[in-house]
Amino acid sequence: MNDTGFTEFSTVTVLLLLAAFYGGTYLLTLLIRKDREDTSGFMVAGHHVGFGMGAASMTATWIWAASFYAAATSGYTYGVSGPIHYGLWGALMILFIYPFGRRFRQLAPNGHTLGELIHARHGASSQLILAGSNILGSVISLMVNFTAAGALVSVLSPLSFETGVIVAGIGVLAYTLTSGFRASVFTDFAQLVALMAIAIIIIPAVLFSAGGTEVMVDGLSRMTDQQASLFSVDAIMNQGAPFFVAVLAYAIGNQTISQRLFAVREKHIKSTFVTATIGYGAIVIGLGMIGLMALSVGMEPIDGNMNNLIPQMVSTYLSPVFVALFFILVIGSLSSTADSDLSALSTIVMADVYGKNIARNNPDPKVMMLVGRITMVVATVAGLVFASFSLDILVMLVFVGALWGAIVFPVIVSCYWDRVTNAAFTWSVVVAMALFCIARFELLEMTGFTVLAFEVLASVGGAVVIGMMVFGFFGRAAGLVAGLITLVAMLVFATGFLRDYMVLVASLTAYGASAVVCTAMTLTSNERFDFDLIRKRVDDYDDAGIEDDAAMIPEGAK
Amino acid sequence: MTNELIYGAYILIWPAITFVVLGVICRAVARDVRRARKSDEDLI
Repeated sequence: MNDTGFTEFSTVTVLLLLAAFYGGTYLLTLLIRKDREDTSGFMVAGHHVGFGMGAASMTATWIWAASFYAAATSGYTYGVSGPIHYGLWGALMILFIYPFGRRFRQLAPNGHTLGELIHARHGASSQLILAGSNILGSVISLMVNFTAAGALVSVLSPLSFETGVIVAGIGVLAYTLTSGFRASVFTDFAQLVALMAIAIIIIPAVLFSAGGTEVMVDGLSRMTDQQASLFSVDAIMNQGAPFFVAVLAYAIGNQTISQRLFAVREKHIKSTFVTATIGYGAIVIGLGMIGLMALSVGMEPIDGNMNNLIPQMVSTYLSPVFVALFFILVIGSLSSTADSDLSALSTIVMADVYGKNIARNNPDPKVMMLVGRITMVVATVAGLVFASFSLDILVMLVFVGALWGAIVFPVIVSCYWDRVTNAAFTWSVVVAMALFCIARFELLEMTGFTVLAFEVLASVGGAVVIGMMVFGFFGRAAGLVAGLITLVAMLVFATGFLRDYMVLVASLTAYGASAVVCTAMTLTSNERFDFDLIRKRVDDYDDAGIEDDAAMIPEGAK
Repeated sequence: MTNELIYGAYILIWPAITFVVLGVICRAVARDVRRARKSDEDLI
């Protein structure tokens, strides 16, 4: 153990652990390597991923390094209910997207990205808004994961932060570059098995080494009433509600999810996403319990940094072997997400940028593969550079989160309502982002009629969130009823109250404003879109000879 | 004693669920591997 309280490995040990992890993962990809990869395999594994591999890949991808740290922080800060308010809502992001995913697959069975579907439905401007938000999200995720690798290596060994960042970047790129998404899915399975096995061992090991349930129950007396309650209002309002609001936004805005919706065999979408929901929830909430245990035993995070909680607990109560397992757990989780981000970025650039906008639906598959691999290299370098700068990503995250919130309604409604136009899609997002910025940064004085107007918009946003979720599972009538009930309840109970939570108001405003503008503009349109055109316009790129027919080009792209 | 049992179960239920999901995923992958071998197709 070093003077800061962590178990410290020697340089050789850490390098051996990293070499074993990335070397083993690279060797695994040799099992599936083909002499000639095709674009469909590289982007979505030929749309034929089975239930087991699909569920493992979705779970591993959604768990990133921050999942453990944030869940533990939530447990430490909000007590008994904290880990649930982090893990449950993160899990529901996977669950609530699958009904819409089945619709996406029905409309575009040969699709690779949600952007392609939107391009076929509306044209370039709507598609590029979606693709742009996807790219930003994946680059941020890549940067965060490389940063986590650097931080872990520097805390547990004499190696520098930069060394950890570079090893993780090169390691992930090495095993993903050749086979793309196929390599990502295949290695996700191995990484998830290791990750789950380690979580199954570490959680009870920490509990019993820290004194068992008796000590934990005694620790309840250390907690505030809110921390000791399973129904803490603090936890709901500060942790649960913002996450709940983001459930659909994160799922729609993340290409790593839509890529798997297009990759898994259509009949397995439901079982895959339900299993991933349970798997993600169990692992993340379970590891979040280590934060709760830290609170119960009265541990103070070193340097006041909450990210130190789990390494501190593992170092304090378990042997170095467990610390090594924890090291592999974090490296595995961040690598599985980083390789998915690389695959997502390469697919967006291949399909949305090159395929649809540069090659105008008539791409050369060889050039397309080259574009994909170059994108991976460029994205890795960008991720490494940004990670090395230790940038503050909060502002970027705020904007990307709002952008995802603003596109939820237009994206989903465009897949069901034949009257939605490209202009309605684009303007709804632009207006929603403008109003979001006003609310989030309080650019207007938030008093009187102004704040009331934003509360009303936020109430509409709340109704959209609930209505969409219910609509996905139970259909249009149920969705409308749920949305209306939520709207009335929010107008009655939330106006005058929500203004105390302006971050929440801003997020909900993004949903509400885009829904209002999109609906209003759509109602004035006489357009009727034939949804069968999407199937014709979105095809695999390996098939040569795409027809040069006017119907193949969406109105918004002409 | 009851409190300890409930609190212990609340913490340990998550690794238990993880164990079950791990079993489900491993079984499904084994089935996919067998099916791919039988039909001479790629697993991925």
